[in-house]
Amino acid sequence: MEANAEIFFEHDRWSRNLAWSVGLHLAITGAILLYGFFGPGGHGSAWGAGGGGDAMGVTLVSTIPLPANPQQTQNIVANESKGLSQSQPKQKEEEPEAIPIPDKNAKTKPKPKATATQRKPEPQPEPEEEANNVVPFGEGGPVSGPYGVFSANGAKGGFGFTGGGGDFGNRYAWYVRVVQQKVSENWLKYEVDPRVSDARRVYVTFDIHRDGRPTNIQVEQSSGVPSLDQSAVRALARIDTFGPLPSDYPGSKVSVEFWFDYKR
Amino acid sequence: MNSQISRRARHFLAHNFITRHRQLIATTVAVFALIIAALLAAAAAQDWIKTGTGLGVERIRLAVPDFKASNQDPKNADLLRVFNATLWNDLDNAGIFDLVSKSFYPVEVPGNPAEVKFEAWNNQPTNAAMLAFGNLGVNTNSMVVQGWLYDVKNVTSPQVLGKQYTDAATPEAARATAHKFADEIIFRLGGGIAGIAETQIYFVSNRSGHKEIWAMDYDGENQHQLTHLNTISLSPRISPDGSRLAFSSLTKGGWQILMYSMDLNRLVSFQRFGGTNLSPAWSADGSRIAFSSSRTGDPEIYVVDQSGGNIKRLTDVKGPDVSPVWNPKTGAQIAWVSGRTGLPQIYTMESDGTNIQRITDEGYAVSPAWSPNGQFLLFSWIRHYGPGVLGGDDIYIMDIVGKRIVQLTHQAGRNDFPNWSPDGRHIVFQSNRSGSEQIWTMLADGTNQKPLTVTGSNTQPNWSWK
Repeated sequence: MEANAEIFFEHDRWSRNLAWSVGLHLAITGAILLYGFFGPGGHGSAWGAGGGGDAMGVTLVSTIPLPANPQQTQNIVANESKGLSQSQPKQKEEEPEAIPIPDKNAKTKPKPKATATQRKPEPQPEPEEEANNVVPFGEGGPVSGPYGVFSANGAKGGFGFTGGGGDFGNRYAWYVRVVQQKVSENWLKYEVDPRVSDARRVYVTFDIHRDGRPTNIQVEQSSGVPSLDQSAVRALARIDTFGPLPSDYPGSKVSVEFWFDYKR
Repeated sequence: MNSQISRRARHFLAHNFITRHRQLIATTVAVFALIIAALLAAAAAQDWIKTGTGLGVERIRLAVPDFKASNQDPKNADLLRVFNATLWNDLDNAGIFDLVSKSFYPVEVPGNPAEVKFEAWNNQPTNAAMLAFGNLGVNTNSMVVQGWLYDVKNVTSPQVLGKQYTDAATPEAARATAHKFADEIIFRLGGGIAGIAETQIYFVSNRSGHKEIWAMDYDGENQHQLTHLNTISLSPRISPDGSRLAFSSLTKGGWQILMYSMDLNRLVSFQRFGGTNLSPAWSADGSRIAFSSSRTGDPEIYVVDQSGGNIKRLTDVKGPDVSPVWNPKTGAQIAWVSGRTGLPQIYTMESDGTNIQRITDEGYAVSPAWSPNGQFLLFSWIRHYGPGVLGGDDIYIMDIVGKRIVQLTHQAGRNDFPNWSPDGRHIVFQSNRSGSEQIWTMLADGTNQKPLTVTGSNTQPNWSWK
């Protein structure tokens, strides 16, 4: 009857319009997702606190100068923090040999204490078998984005905790140090094929859970030497725990990208 | 026209629509659900750490100034003395710190977080990376200790640990609290491995006139006698949960494995076997004990339940088989000493007796000890055994996978019975380099060797599991 015919007519119109609507929504959502994953920003580097390191100074609005020309600095350090490495002590200047002419009226200064010169010898870091162009921890080369983009200057390695690692790495530097030490301890270099003398870096990623367990160990970028990749993965598999994550860290896990440099 | 379609009709239409296009609607809903889930997952900001090898990891420079008194109670001074000395010792012995010498500390030391001056600690000459400080005070017979661990290179958020302990106001409690705080620091900065400051060492001592089993703290304090059997008792081995101590003793029925309960402070019953029964060893889960028995004439390795039942024989080759130890990580392998080829050598096998492998190939090797992570084997070795050859027993460590051997002690004299600490960083052993047999301890790389006992003759140490 008439009502029925109208009903069918309504159905047709609905489904076509609905299909258009769904399709449009899907397209927009997909575009947003694609932009989020592949657009600028990378691994969450734009999230959270930007910049890392020291706080930026705040100036009054009325005294903001015009933007300065970008200065070239000689500074190769990523940020001003000293990191956990020791700075080398300044060379102690020798006291001049001259004997002061005693002045009857002048006040006699007490001689500087001899203990200041007996500096405890700085404990040397254990010599690594690898290259001696190793950059001490925290004093790495120029900051760069995701792997592989090192500018020259001969500076090798040493990301520190840039970009994406900014927040965790700066706040819990001691925990990152523990991770480094444990992995380095558990890496058995003799598992690598003895014919290999030099290899590209292998990047391995894994997650550290709240209780310190490493999981989801994956080779992110191979070195081209399968036995080296395997030894890196086994180094991580050998570790039961890095220790629980810091108790005031809000996340439930941390992702780590760890590189292995092999040099016989 | 629409208005003429009543509500009921509209509902009917909708219902019809849904039933006819069920599949389309289901897939649409599913797709949207997936999209929302994906968006939520992406929205959870992921924290990344990027780091690697070759960045020169060295020991942590830790500054530990004396704890201050938090009030004027006269008992504070004694307790502080014990506490500070114990805390310094524990952290110094941990093997992972470089303790900054006290002569480099600034004049003012902090007693609570408000008093910390970061530049004084992280600059020359102190140059510390971490700072442990706090205060102690007695309040009508109870002692309250507050301790902090600060990362002095991170001025914005330095706190790594902040702890408060309350205990009786006695020197023993002060020592125990210092052990607890040191263990916390070591646990945090040492990568999740518990510190050993609260562990015990069990050993054999003859200072009562007979060889009895004694116990002491890991730093040599609090040495006390456990057994009073007035006969010869040897090779104490504590169970993984610390509740029972197995040892071998010369009873009226010959050498037997005896069981001492640490909770009840007396012997408890254990199965007796024929022959000479020596060197018990607990499996890592505490469910089985391996030992050497000559009940069939030739000493062989047997495994029993922790109550002594279900005996099973593992070796059957002629020649003495003694001193079994389990792999503490897997519980699936046993290392032991066998004289089947003449001089004693170290062998390993699976815990059912299969897959026998020889570890040492020369000399006189005894007393294997398996590291807690299952990677290393310690043993005592006279590498070139024979008349007129110089060199006595020395402790060696071998990496099981790579079979590489490193010598840890280089003294003339006999160094024997090595045993691992539960953190895998320390070794306890017996040495007669001082003229009498004493218990010594060292780090796992052979450094920092020092004696723990001085009185009488003390041998065969065994470190507790926790």
